Amino acid sequence: MNENDLRKVIEQVLVEMNGAGKEISEDVVKETVLAASTATKVEEGFIPDVTEVDIRKQYLVEEPVNKEDYYELKQYAPCRLGIGKAGARYKTDPMLQFRAAHSAAQDAVFSDVDHEFIDKMGLLTVQTQCDNKDVYLTRPDLGRKLSEESAKSIAEKCKKNPTVQIYVSDGLSSAAVAANIADVLPGIMQGLKSYGIETGTPFFVKYGRVGVMDQVSEITGAEVTCVLIGERPGLITAESMSAYIAYKATIGMPEARRTVVSNIHRAGTIPAEAGAHIAEIIKLMLEKKASGTDLKL
Amino acid sequence: MQEIIISVGIDIGTSTTQLIFSRITIENLASSYTVPRISIVNKEVIYRSEIYFTPLKSLTEIDANEIERIVKQEYKNAGITPEMLKTGAVIITGETARKKNADEVLKKLSNLAGDFVVATAGPDLESVLSAKGAGSDKLSKEEKLTVANLDIGGGTTNIAVFKKGIIAATSCLDIGGRLIKIEDGKISYIYPKIKELAQSNQIHIEVGEKAEVDKLEQICTLMAEQLSMAINRSTRTNQHAGIYTNEGKPLPEELEIQGLTFSGGVADYVYHPADDDWFRYGDIGVLLGKAILKNDGIKKVQQFQAVETIRATVVGAGTHTTEVSGSTITYERERLPIKNMPVLKIPEEEEMDLEAVTASLIKQIPLFYTEGKLEQLVIALSGNFHTSFASVQELAEAILKGSQEIVKSEFPIVIAVENDIGKVLGNAIKVMLECRKDVVCIDGIHAGSGDYLDIGEPIANGRVVPVVTKTLIFNS
Repeated sequence: MNENDLRKVIEQVLVEMNGAGKEISEDVVKETVLAASTATKVEEGFIPDVTEVDIRKQYLVEEPVNKEDYYELKQYAPCRLGIGKAGARYKTDPMLQFRAAHSAAQDAVFSDVDHEFIDKMGLLTVQTQCDNKDVYLTRPDLGRKLSEESAKSIAEKCKKNPTVQIYVSDGLSSAAVAANIADVLPGIMQGLKSYGIETGTPFFVKYGRVGVMDQVSEITGAEVTCVLIGERPGLITAESMSAYIAYKATIGMPEARRTVVSNIHRAGTIPAEAGAHIAEIIKLMLEKKASGTDLKL
Repeated sequence: MQEIIISVGIDIGTSTTQLIFSRITIENLASSYTVPRISIVNKEVIYRSEIYFTPLKSLTEIDANEIERIVKQEYKNAGITPEMLKTGAVIITGETARKKNADEVLKKLSNLAGDFVVATAGPDLESVLSAKGAGSDKLSKEEKLTVANLDIGGGTTNIAVFKKGIIAATSCLDIGGRLIKIEDGKISYIYPKIKELAQSNQIHIEVGEKAEVDKLEQICTLMAEQLSMAINRSTRTNQHAGIYTNEGKPLPEELEIQGLTFSGGVADYVYHPADDDWFRYGDIGVLLGKAILKNDGIKKVQQFQAVETIRATVVGAGTHTTEVSGSTITYERERLPIKNMPVLKIPEEEEMDLEAVTASLIKQIPLFYTEGKLEQLVIALSGNFHTSFASVQELAEAILKGSQEIVKSEFPIVIAVENDIGKVLGNAIKVMLECRKDVVCIDGIHAGSGDYLDIGEPIANGRVVPVVTKTLIFNS
């Protein structure tokens, strides 16, 4: 809005305020315009990003009995402890952090993994019987079954009877896939290569639950099947990923036959190292021909 | 699931030779759904030997055969065979390390005692081991105090200071209970520095004269005052600088000691002073204990009971030298154990730049030649700057480029990193070398330049390896 427009608006407002028909002096308008246009000032700088705060290092209790000890305690885990309070409520900063973490968790669940990223990783995309996120969240059973087309596609395009079939799935956190796959997947592949273990064609399952690995196992005929899947996000991280691994998985097998490696993320188990560890578990599984509670690690 | 390993500690000191066996319990503290985290959860001494006077053939020679006999007998008494031991340390400390056949004794012991670590402890290492044996590190952590342990032995007093469980400083003084010896009521030996100390305070003492309690008590008071100066509780005199072993350094002056523990042979007479029979050990140890207790400077500091006193060093050697590696590592079973590897440390500032990593290795490897030939060494780095898969590959490449000489040799490539990337880095190197070379890559280990590392046989179902870092700073 330029000065002229502003002038017109103010003129009009003043006219209305003073009652129609009354004469407005030129000076009053000028003065008001000047005041309004100088009062708006654009500041340099920005509001600090609340998600950048390391909550292990933030201690906000006022007049603490023993700040040092509490601070040391906080170093053990990234928990929302010692964040003070304003009356009966949270302080502004922790409140904003909490809401930011909550939003990140929601986003991780409701957003899709970027297609470009999946293509870049060289993964073929298939889908379960869920058509969208709402169906995925409300119908876990459909998230455990591949769509007919997808099942066909895997059967046609993927290597038959590989020793190990690895695939990726969004699960409950697309953010986890985006954050970790580029480190975990090659970590596993390299580990398996160093053991001389051959792998199948990796792919990506959209709207996948863990259980779909059983169907994948049956279609590909893999000896060991491993899915890298986004974990239900929490308020500490939305990027945590798990690997579920099973020896000769079959539809309807007991859950106890799955071996799981969880907590794979930047601040948990380092993703590349987790990949190397998973490769070793797979090697062990092949040696012992067992998985889950049957396999002593 | 817990696993117990047995560790031995043998200490051949200036005055005494001792041996202990301890039980180290390791356990996976992680839930079964995550990557294992195997840690030492308990350390317990299960057998304490008799305390022997260190057998000497002459003033310059240890009686190796007698040591051998003692060790054999104690193993038998404890019902332990060398095969049962997974780790441990033999250390020759104090004056004894300077005997001309110290190396020979060590070799003999390593064959006899089990397949593990053998080390000659410098005064710094001895200070740390005795303080850990005395429990000062734990005490300082629990009480959140700066605690100094004074390990007062025959020839030296080793001081280690812990701040909230972390080693802050060490020092070693020529103050000990056997620096004046008494035989048949007469003075038979005076250590020159002590004679000087007495003389400068107008006390004259000569070998051969009658041992007078009063006079010796005065000398012990002077010695105690030196200790008080060493822990910053009395003003340091000009003479004080000369009392440090091998012209060593005193503790930093700004260090405020808030708690004290005592170990070593004299400690028992600090905690429980005697009233008579002063020369029961043929030395001034009992008198020195009393003098330390009475010293005004030392009195001002809060005193704590040590967990171990005369056995602190041997307990430290037997139970506090071993750590376990991280739980995701790379190794070749048949290559382990590897002992006494010198550490080639890539400094952190060079680690950030891959070209500098290569250059650092090329520059440093020749420094580890023995008689012009390469020996087994361990490359140590923090691993803090390369954690993504792609950057670990680059790091692996840079390391390989710089260590071509090791690649061409018969030795395996051995790497110790601090950060949890041991397995992926090891895999990267193995794949780059097309698995034609043995690679040992462990993590969770801090090692610095000048350290020596021993890597033991895998334990806990092959997940971890015991590691002994012969260094000043242990991570616990």
